[in-house]
Amino acid sequence: MDHEKLLKKMLQNDPVRNAGATRRDVLKGIGAGALALGASAGVMAPGLSSAARELRLLTWDGYVDPRVLDGYTEASGTAIKYELHTSDPDSVNKLRAGETKIWDIINLNNPWARQIMWPENLIVELERGRFEPYFDKMLPMFKPPYKWSMSLDNEHLLGVCQRVDTFDFVVNTDVISQSTGKKEGWDLFNNADMSGRYGILAYDNWNIMHMCMGAGLHPFKTKTDDQVAKFEETARRWINGAKLISDDFVAINLALINGEIDAYISGGTYSVSAARLDGISNLYHVVPESGPADGKGGINWIELNSVVNNPDLHPEAFDWLEYILQPETSYWVATAGGFLLPVGQMSQPELISKFSKEELNSFQWDEFDYRISHAVEYDVVPDYNRLYDIYTAALREKS
Amino acid sequence: MATRPARPTTVAALAGWFREPGVLTATPILIFFLIGFVGPLVIVLGFSFLPERTFGFHGDWTVENYLQIFSESYYISFVWSFGFAAVTVVCNLLIAYPIAYGLAKVFGRWAAPFTLILVMPLFVSENVRLFGWMLFLLKGGGILAGSMEFLFGVETGTLLYASGSTLLGLIYVYLPFTLFPIVLGLSMVPKDQVDAAGDLGANRWQIFREIELPIAMPGILIGGLLTFVLAVGAIAEAKLLGGQNVIVIAHAIQHEFTYAQNWPLGSALAVLTIVITGVLVLFAMRRLDLDMLLGRR
Amino acid sequence: MAEPAPILRMVDLTKQFGKLTAVDNVSLDIVDGEFFTIVGPSGSGKTTLLRMLAGLEKPTAGDVLLREQRINNVPANKRPTCMVFQSLALFNHRTVGQNIEFSLKMRGVSRLERRARCLELMDMLRLPKDYYGKSVTKCSGGEQQRVALARALASDPDILFFDEPLSAIDYRLRKLLEVELKDLHRATGKTFVYITHSLEEAMVMSDRIGIMREGSLIQIGTPNDIYTQPLNKFVSEFMGEVNLIEVRTGSDGMLDCDSLKIRATSPTKPAGFTDGFLVIRSEFMRFLAAPSEAENHLRGVLYNEYALGSRVQYHVRAGEHMVVIEKLREQAYRGSLNDDVIIGWDAKDSVLVSD
Repeated sequence: MDHEKLLKKMLQNDPVRNAGATRRDVLKGIGAGALALGASAGVMAPGLSSAARELRLLTWDGYVDPRVLDGYTEASGTAIKYELHTSDPDSVNKLRAGETKIWDIINLNNPWARQIMWPENLIVELERGRFEPYFDKMLPMFKPPYKWSMSLDNEHLLGVCQRVDTFDFVVNTDVISQSTGKKEGWDLFNNADMSGRYGILAYDNWNIMHMCMGAGLHPFKTKTDDQVAKFEETARRWINGAKLISDDFVAINLALINGEIDAYISGGTYSVSAARLDGISNLYHVVPESGPADGKGGINWIELNSVVNNPDLHPEAFDWLEYILQPETSYWVATAGGFLLPVGQMSQPELISKFSKEELNSFQWDEFDYRISHAVEYDVVPDYNRLYDIYTAALREKS
Repeated sequence: MATRPARPTTVAALAGWFREPGVLTATPILIFFLIGFVGPLVIVLGFSFLPERTFGFHGDWTVENYLQIFSESYYISFVWSFGFAAVTVVCNLLIAYPIAYGLAKVFGRWAAPFTLILVMPLFVSENVRLFGWMLFLLKGGGILAGSMEFLFGVETGTLLYASGSTLLGLIYVYLPFTLFPIVLGLSMVPKDQVDAAGDLGANRWQIFREIELPIAMPGILIGGLLTFVLAVGAIAEAKLLGGQNVIVIAHAIQHEFTYAQNWPLGSALAVLTIVITGVLVLFAMRRLDLDMLLGRR
Repeated sequence: MAEPAPILRMVDLTKQFGKLTAVDNVSLDIVDGEFFTIVGPSGSGKTTLLRMLAGLEKPTAGDVLLREQRINNVPANKRPTCMVFQSLALFNHRTVGQNIEFSLKMRGVSRLERRARCLELMDMLRLPKDYYGKSVTKCSGGEQQRVALARALASDPDILFFDEPLSAIDYRLRKLLEVELKDLHRATGKTFVYITHSLEEAMVMSDRIGIMREGSLIQIGTPNDIYTQPLNKFVSEFMGEVNLIEVRTGSDGMLDCDSLKIRATSPTKPAGFTDGFLVIRSEFMRFLAAPSEAENHLRGVLYNEYALGSRVQYHVRAGEHMVVIEKLREQAYRGSLNDDVIIGWDAKDSVLVSD
């Protein structure tokens, strides 16, 4: 296997993106602060039209690919500024803290728009007549009115969907076969033999959902005290049994490739597609055949692009949403730097024809329907704070 | 009746003070310092007394966050961070002293290129350097494991994801911060005094203890303190090389500010870290009388 | 009476730093109890020579013998010698007492004994008792000198080395300390080896003087020998204000001085002397009322005069030369600047040296 090439590629892809507060983050923070200052100055200065400023995105990584950004700027002449999320709730709290004045577009996972941001008046609705035709052309699961794009009363369209997949666990198929992974599901990590042979990709909110699954609990249902105790037992056992925990998927993929570990909890196409594209096809995203969440063990996430309730909204905010739904843009988003992921628009022949066989294989496209059908849709974890405190305590007390 | 000059009021004195050219010219910097350095600290301090999971300055003041820290297992993170920092300082002092001695006293014109070699890695991001260590130490395809197997046919076990590898990372990253103050300290030792001590009958060890160590002590202490303070706040080493098998205090703080979205608890942890570090540093500084050590008294 | 035994012998001692030969084949015996001074300009190798004797440098070639024992490889801390440095090298982070007791502490002498010895030395060097706990940085220059001396004497070394300890001190204090050093030498009876760039300083204190130039000792002798019979121009120039006139021997034994267009009577010529310099010390040059008052005379113009305390110095321009004359105040020349003057000397007051 051509490891060296992979390592180089991974380093180019900025392995430290997730490695914690780095100088880059600090600079980014300063940049954002300056942006905030500038924005408030802009609000205060009357004659300065909002059209003169750039379009501002608070987003996950799919939309910051240069092809996506430059494509829009070339077509419209509008410059784009962006900031990447650290987590969904982190960015929601930014809007709550008054950053609605800064951002035009927010791109988050599915539950936040309808359950939090719309009720709290942080986003505005989309014109159904203009955007629902796009849903018609998407994969059947998005048939309008699509639940996660709609307000709780099913009246208002809150965003458009694009990237979609499940996020579960990853194995090295040289050691653990695909079928073993699927059959054993989350019990794989409950097996005492696995102790010291797996890692945890520390995307904390996902870890908590997956630990619920491992404890035989539905992650998105309120838990009794007994169930919380079961969660705690599983969380502590899994954390203590983990050989390494890292919030950097490159580090954890390297450990997997080099035999330090044989599997990791909280992983999926999002974390392995780049490595798979480079030919390391023994990294494999597993969705269990069955699990405790209505019989399912996988968790399906859908990104939703919404328009922020900005008092000084950029006039092109809605145009941007239409732009990203075009087949060309969809392809760029689906293959954005280092993250190859399925998009809801892949039902369209002119889009799917753009993908090479390797690209489709990188995100295990042949199993996409299996994954979606064996997964529950991502939702807000009702006891999140309680479970999170248990989770961090278990991390601190790891033995 | 004789008139007495009016005693200047405090306000007048302050106004006079602000008319001093020195104070006047320093004012912009002072304001910048207050806004940029003291301000955030005050905000953090304020947040640490707010109810859990609040995001603005509203709600009643409470010490609940501190009680939570003391009643739960956060002490583990404090022990690890301060323990790592202490061991890092000790190891780095032992490693840095001979190198510093060479740079200050032995290498002569080779000291400059040698220093350059030591400084060059600092131009590379700390995370990338630690990532390099990870590639070096990995089992299987790692550079060390690969070389050992190729050259000697030995299979090395796993070297990563333990407190040892975390410590290695800390020692590696913070060595320059220990080294260069010690180089400065040792270059303050006059050759004549070393010669004189030898001439007066001191052997190598006695020269070290009686002359070099006391004279270089300011540099050694500053290097040690700098390393200690930086290592207490270190996070990337435990994450990348330690495989998060240990949650250091900076990581615990990061948890609270990101996924947990519990800024008040994170602030309380930060305040405690600053306070403990501050007390330790002040204690060390009190034992170090710079004037006495520099021979000005 | 038998020659006193040498305490320290240098045999063909050489030190090279890379291509530079700092000390070149020096052989010298130093007698027990004498005050020997090595004089030379900076860069002459005198400090290197001293450092080899103290054990702070290793010779490249040759031997150092202490009481006939070869000590080339004995490190400084094992030699029964002590050095007073040019910088004094006092330990600024220590008190006066700690400085003086340093060598005793290194040898494991008990605290009480150390203190007794220290106070004894402080008394001998007239340092007040209450200086014991004082930081050396708070002492005056002269007091620091005495601390350095006491520190060097503490372990009762056989030989004391001095590396220009007075060079950075003002004139008055230096004169005072020169006397003190000479008295200390007499009081202790120890061998002192002293280096300086000032022949004047050496003259005051030394039993014998060695003149060093470019790594070699070129003349060794008592102060009187050096003063009256300098070996060459280099040595005579070292003595300060002397008049040097380039001469060559004429057919009749007289000296031809081309630069002054005169012929001079010759003092006793060194063997094989043909040409060189006539040395006339400034105090032997006289103002003449008539040319006949001296064996040799010159005509010139009084250019300037300088009062030097008890003496007065005159500069007289004669041809290309500026002749220096020194008189006691009571013998001062009575006249004014730009006077035409006649100056002269007798052959017995002059010395011939080679280049």
